[in-house]
Amino acid sequence: MQIEMLLPQQRAIDLDELRSLLASGAAAEPFHPSIVDASVDLSQRIFHDAEARAYPELLALAYWMRKAEMVRLSAQFRSLQLDQRVLTPRGLVFHLPPRNVDTIFVYSWLLAALTGNRNVIRLSPQRSTSTGILLRLLRETLAAAAEPTSRATTIVSYGHEEEPTAMLSALCDARVVWGGNQTVEIIRRSPLSPHAKEITFPDRYSLSAIRADAYAGLPEDKRDHLADQFFNDSFWFDQLACSSPRLVVWCGTASETRAASADFFPRVAGCVERRRYVLPAAASMQKLLYSCSAILDSPVEQCRRYQGLTVLTLDSLAGFQRTHPGGGLFFEAHLEGLLDLAAFLGRRDQTLTWFGFTPDELHALVRSLNGRAIDRIVPIGHALQFHRFWDGYDLLQEFCRCVYIESTFLDAQPTRPGDGTGRC
Amino acid sequence: MTLDDLIHRPQYSVPQAEKEAALLAELTRLGQSHRERSPEYARLVRVLFPGSANPRSLAELPYLPVGLFKERLLSSVPESEVFKILQSSGTSGQTPSRIVLDRETAQLQTLALGRIMTSVLGPNRLPMILVETADLIRDRREFNARAAGLLGMINFGRDHFYALDSNLELRLPELKEFLRRFGGSTFLIFGFTFLVWTRFYQPLADAGLDLSHAILIHSGGWKKLQEQAVGAADFRAALRQTMGLTRVYNFYGMVEQVGSVFLEGDDGYLYPPNFADVIVRDPYTYEEVPDGQTGVIEVLSALPRSYPGHCILTEDLGVVHAVDASTCGRLGKAFSVLGRIPQAELRGCSDVVAAKVS
Repeated sequence: MQIEMLLPQQRAIDLDELRSLLASGAAAEPFHPSIVDASVDLSQRIFHDAEARAYPELLALAYWMRKAEMVRLSAQFRSLQLDQRVLTPRGLVFHLPPRNVDTIFVYSWLLAALTGNRNVIRLSPQRSTSTGILLRLLRETLAAAAEPTSRATTIVSYGHEEEPTAMLSALCDARVVWGGNQTVEIIRRSPLSPHAKEITFPDRYSLSAIRADAYAGLPEDKRDHLADQFFNDSFWFDQLACSSPRLVVWCGTASETRAASADFFPRVAGCVERRRYVLPAAASMQKLLYSCSAILDSPVEQCRRYQGLTVLTLDSLAGFQRTHPGGGLFFEAHLEGLLDLAAFLGRRDQTLTWFGFTPDELHALVRSLNGRAIDRIVPIGHALQFHRFWDGYDLLQEFCRCVYIESTFLDAQPTRPGDGTGRC
Repeated sequence: MTLDDLIHRPQYSVPQAEKEAALLAELTRLGQSHRERSPEYARLVRVLFPGSANPRSLAELPYLPVGLFKERLLSSVPESEVFKILQSSGTSGQTPSRIVLDRETAQLQTLALGRIMTSVLGPNRLPMILVETADLIRDRREFNARAAGLLGMINFGRDHFYALDSNLELRLPELKEFLRRFGGSTFLIFGFTFLVWTRFYQPLADAGLDLSHAILIHSGGWKKLQEQAVGAADFRAALRQTMGLTRVYNFYGMVEQVGSVFLEGDDGYLYPPNFADVIVRDPYTYEEVPDGQTGVIEVLSALPRSYPGHCILTEDLGVVHAVDASTCGRLGKAFSVLGRIPQAELRGCSDVVAAKVS
C-alpha cells in the first residue's frame, strides 16, 4: 500500500519503504543544539512570514518556541535529571494530532523532538490553510537544520485506513493520540509493541471559577480586563477547544454571586461586540435549540441572551451533563466555596481557570479531588496557553525513559531482601 | 374577531393592524392554554421568555425553534385525544419532526387550507393533474411529508391524473388525453417545485401544449432549482412563454404548521392568510428586523391547538417587502423566502427527491 509522504520529501511512499526508513536511525541527545536551533528558527520563520502572521494561533505557537522559552525548557529538563536518574529518549514517537486545532501537531512534535526522539506524524488529507503554512515553514526549517535533527522527522498523510496506522503503531516506541474519545477508541484497535507506551488526549471539559467578593472588589477597568481575558479563553476556537471554559462557577453568598454575574457577563458581551466576533447564523440558531433542550433536561432556572452570548443559570450542579454546542454558551452555577465544587467534578474535567482564590484554596481543591478530576489550574486568560504540563501529563517526562543508576559502590552492607528494587 | 371570523372572512382582506390585534388576543389565549396543558412548554416559556404573560405585540409572544420538534414530542393533549402524529420527511441521517394532532386541530387544518386554496381556485372542484407518481401514496413506506402534502391538496380536484410513472417519467399520451377532455376550461395542476420543473416543464418545453386554462400550485422549496440557476421569476416566465401558463402560485409551508400555508399572490410575493402571520428576526439578537431587511422567519398560526407550535422560529431566511401595499389587492405582509440559513440541517420534501433522482 502507498500513502503520501509530506516530509522530508513530498512524494508517494510504499509502506514497506516507510518501515525501513523509520526502522533505521538513532535517537539524539535530549536538547541537542540542532533541535533547539531548529525550534528557534521555526519560530522566527513564523514571525516573519506574511501569510502566517495572519493567524493568531500561529503567532502564539511562534512565541512559545522562541529562544527564551527554549532556554527555560532546557533548564527545566536538566533539573529533572538526578544523580540516580537519567532521562533518555524513547526512540520513535508516532503522533496522531487532531484535525481541528492546527497547531497541536507542532507542540506535540517539538516536545518529543526536544527530548531526542525521532518522530512520525500522521496528518489528515483534509488540511486547513494554517496547517499548510506550518508544513511549508517546517519543511524549510528542517532542510536548513543540522544533523541529526534534519533527518529525525517524517510526516505522512492518509485517510482512515487501518493498515498504515497498524504498521506505525507496531513500529513505534510511543504513540500520541489526540482528537477525542472516538479517535482513541479507533486507534487502539492497532496494537503497540509490548514495550511501547501510549499518551491519549480524550474528550475533555473545562470550566472557570470566580470568587464573587474578589470580583466585587475590582475597579471598573480591571473588571473589563478580566472579561477580555475570559473572552480570549472562550472565543478563540469558537469555545470548542478542550480547555475553553463552558461552565462558570461563582463562589460566595447568593447575593454576592448574583451581583457579580450580572456585572460580568454584560462586559463579556461587550467584548463580543467590540471584537466583532461573528458566529455563523446557523450556529447561533443551534445555541437557541440547545438552550431549549438544556432547559427541559437540566435544572436551568434562568436564561440570559446577549448578542453572541447565552448564559444558562443552573439551580444545582447535581447530574450536570457536559454536552455543549460551542459558540458562546455558558452554564453558570453558584456555590459557597471552591471546595464545594469537588463533588461535581470528574475524570473528564480538564482545565479550571480561576479568579480571586488564594493558593491555599486552589491546593486544597486539588488535594480534595485527589486525582479524580482536573489536570490544570490556571488564571483566567491562560486557558489556551500550551504547556509541557497538559492533560495530567508532564510531556517532557512522558517522551523519555527513565534510567536508574546506582553509581556508588557500598561495600559490606548486605541489602535486606525485597528492599529497594525497581524504584524509578 | 375570533378564530372563526379570521377563517371565514375572505382571506387577505384584513388590514394588518386589525389582524395583529385579533391574532395577538387569540395567540395569547392559545399560549396560555398550552402553558396549562404542556409542562414542557410552560417551563420553556418561563425560563426563555420571563415576563411574557401579557405581550404587547406579536413579536413579544414566546416562540420555539423548529428543531425542537425533531428532538421532542411536544403535546398539549392527553394521549387518548391524539388523532394522529404527523411526521416530516425523515430520510437518511435526518431526524424527522413529529407533530401531535387531535381531531380539532386536524379539522382546523383542513378547513383553513380550503379557505386559502379556494381563494385562487374558486369554490368548485377542478379537474386535476398531479405531477407525481400514483405510487407515492400507494407505498406506505414512502409515506412522508411529500405524500401528506399531496393528500392535503387532492381534495381540491376531481378526475385526478397522475402525470408521472413509477420512474418519475412523464406519461405524455395520457397527459394529452387529459388535456383533450379538460384542457378547454379551468383545471388544476399540483406538484412539488423541483418535480414540476424537471419532470413536467422540461420534457414539455418544446411540445407546444396549451395550458393557458391551468392553475398551477406548487411547493417544496427552491434550493435544488437555485443550484440550476432557476429562480421564481425564471420559473414563471418559462411556463408562461412555452405553454401559456400564467396562473402560477407557489406556497411556503411546513409540517409543523400544516394548513397554515403562505400562498403567492399574483405579484409573486407570499402572503399570510388571515389566521397566520410572519415575523422576520435577526439571527443573533432575535429582535424583529425592519421591513426590507433579511432575517430568520418566524411563522405564527392560530391553528395548532394540540401542540405548542403556534409560534415557530424556522431555519429559513426571508424578507418582508411591504405591508397592506400589494399591487394584487391582498392586505397584510408581502414577503419572500430566500432559502435555508446556510449549514442548517437540511429538511424538506422535494429537495429529498431531487437528491435521489438527479
